[in-house]
Amino acid sequence: MDSPGAPIISGKNLGRTYALGETRVHALRSVDITIGVGDFLAIQGPSGSGKTTLINLLGLLDIPDEGEVMLDGRPVAGLDEDRLADLRRDRLGFVFQAFSLIPVLTAAENVAYPMTLKGLAETAVRSRTRDLLERVGLGARAGSRPDLLSGGERQRVAIARALANEPQVVLADEPTANLDSETASGILELMRSLNEEKRVAFVVATHDPRVVAGSRRTLTLRDGRFVNAA
Amino acid sequence: MSLWSIALRNVTRNLRRSVLTGCVVVFGFCAFALAGGFMAQSLEGLRDGTIRSGMGHLQFAPPSMFSEGAAGAPDTGIDGAGEIAAILKADRSVAEILPRIEFVGLVTDGERSVPFLGVGLDPEPESRTMDTPKLVAEGDWLRDRTERAVILGTGLAAALSVRVGGTVTLLATSRDGTLNAVDATVAGLANIPFKELNDRYLATSLDLAAELLDAEGQVSKLVVVLTDTAAAPAALPRLLESLRARGRDDVAGRSWQELAQFYRQVRTLYLGIFGFMGAILVAMVLLAAANTMMMAVAERTREIGTLRAIGTRPRFIRRLFLAEGLVLAIGGCLAGAVLSLVLRFILNHSGIMLPPPPGATQGSMLYVKLYGAAYGAGALAMIVTLAAASWLPARRASLMRIVEALAHV
Repeated sequence: MDSPGAPIISGKNLGRTYALGETRVHALRSVDITIGVGDFLAIQGPSGSGKTTLINLLGLLDIPDEGEVMLDGRPVAGLDEDRLADLRRDRLGFVFQAFSLIPVLTAAENVAYPMTLKGLAETAVRSRTRDLLERVGLGARAGSRPDLLSGGERQRVAIARALANEPQVVLADEPTANLDSETASGILELMRSLNEEKRVAFVVATHDPRVVAGSRRTLTLRDGRFVNAA
Repeated sequence: MSLWSIALRNVTRNLRRSVLTGCVVVFGFCAFALAGGFMAQSLEGLRDGTIRSGMGHLQFAPPSMFSEGAAGAPDTGIDGAGEIAAILKADRSVAEILPRIEFVGLVTDGERSVPFLGVGLDPEPESRTMDTPKLVAEGDWLRDRTERAVILGTGLAAALSVRVGGTVTLLATSRDGTLNAVDATVAGLANIPFKELNDRYLATSLDLAAELLDAEGQVSKLVVVLTDTAAAPAALPRLLESLRARGRDDVAGRSWQELAQFYRQVRTLYLGIFGFMGAILVAMVLLAAANTMMMAVAERTREIGTLRAIGTRPRFIRRLFLAEGLVLAIGGCLAGAVLSLVLRFILNHSGIMLPPPPGATQGSMLYVKLYGAAYGAGALAMIVTLAAASWLPARRASLMRIVEALAHV
């Protein structure tokens, strides 16, 4: 395993518990993790091991019950919703298992949306959207709505959207789970090449052995704990 | 890709549901526009009818004439009415001055005596400005202020069994308290719309009324007709000031709004009915729209989670759902305005006759006025209602926990 570059986001002693009826479920227990510049980390483990919970905590989508998440060495605990939204918009990218594109927007508009939120100039948004869609091989489908795209194409649009505001870290939760093996390989190859070209760190929660094999680092979760070192 | 553009696309995305909710808005808007137009038309008709029935826009008389229970006896009349009329006539907003002597008495054909409510008037300006001369159904209106003739309500004529050309005797108490009588020819019979008045109405010339009451040179009041009804509130204080400046502070003035108690009662009743109906409509639209917006939020839970995850602030989510409600409201209002115009055209050409209002004897043709304020009120009510209906779902959407929204199935 290659070691990551300068730390961007890290979690220290992370713990997260959910209530399931009267039962308390420990989704994560005392997890330490650091994501550095240019990292390509696969987090693997069986269903219910805590992969999605960890991605949510690192993506500032959820708040840990124990421990703390730090961005650029500063804790994010206590930041209000607006500030957290701005950090997600500017510093992080997300790719979800179910593609999660906005159905009323075209492929280009989905990619442009985070840039519009950030308030970038229209010409810059248009130019960068075109570049990103061409980079993921969908320049010709810019005007298509998500329902007219294949699963692989939707995930490519989601990756382009994740890169819209030039984030340092892209968090992907089972990005190949809903794709056939050929398409999944294409998506993995795309993420790898973007990682190398742009030095964007990818953190991928996955069951897919090809993703694990193609990653620079791999961590395995079981019952909310890493079974190998972070 | 503005907020409104996304909102519009979201509204059209579940077209059937949006159309159904839009129909409720259209219905609500039409109800406001048409009922408001009908109400405005009815009130304007009642207002003009009240003014032209004899009330005029302004009335000037000694203060005691406007007090409760004033009988209009000549000993409370205006001295020097000609001077006052000249002062009033000098104002540019005054179109006509109508001198009146109001009195009560008995009218008899020699066999029966019936009480009447009488008015002595100058027939020429009355026929130019008032509707009463047009109500003469048989015979003719009075010719001049010296004529020894009367116009009777058809009800009063029937009670006396007199016809046009017949002779009647009027009996009344004169200024010095003695009973006086004059003979007069029946010049015409007027069909007064209010039955109670129709059974008692008697009009005669100013000179004959003055002779009967021994009140030469006096009138009970001066009725002023203005060139424009809207000018009445401003004209009254101006005219009173002109009178005071000439030393005539023995005269008080009232506008038609102060005098027309029936108009005020009907207006209050209409506003009450309109308000009640409006409240029911608003509640109906509110429930329908709130249901639509709640369903939209529930169906788009994952999408809301995604929007939040990629950096959308809660405030934007809230504004997005509010904008969707407003898009529905504005679309519904535009469609409602078109439908209201079509329905208005159909109703106004339907020839539907409305029954006479309480106390009246004649119905009128259904007519719905194009009343801008009703369209404005309808649009405002629908927009505010849809905004209110969207507020709670929008708030709920903006406060969703992201991980729960993303995991929503």
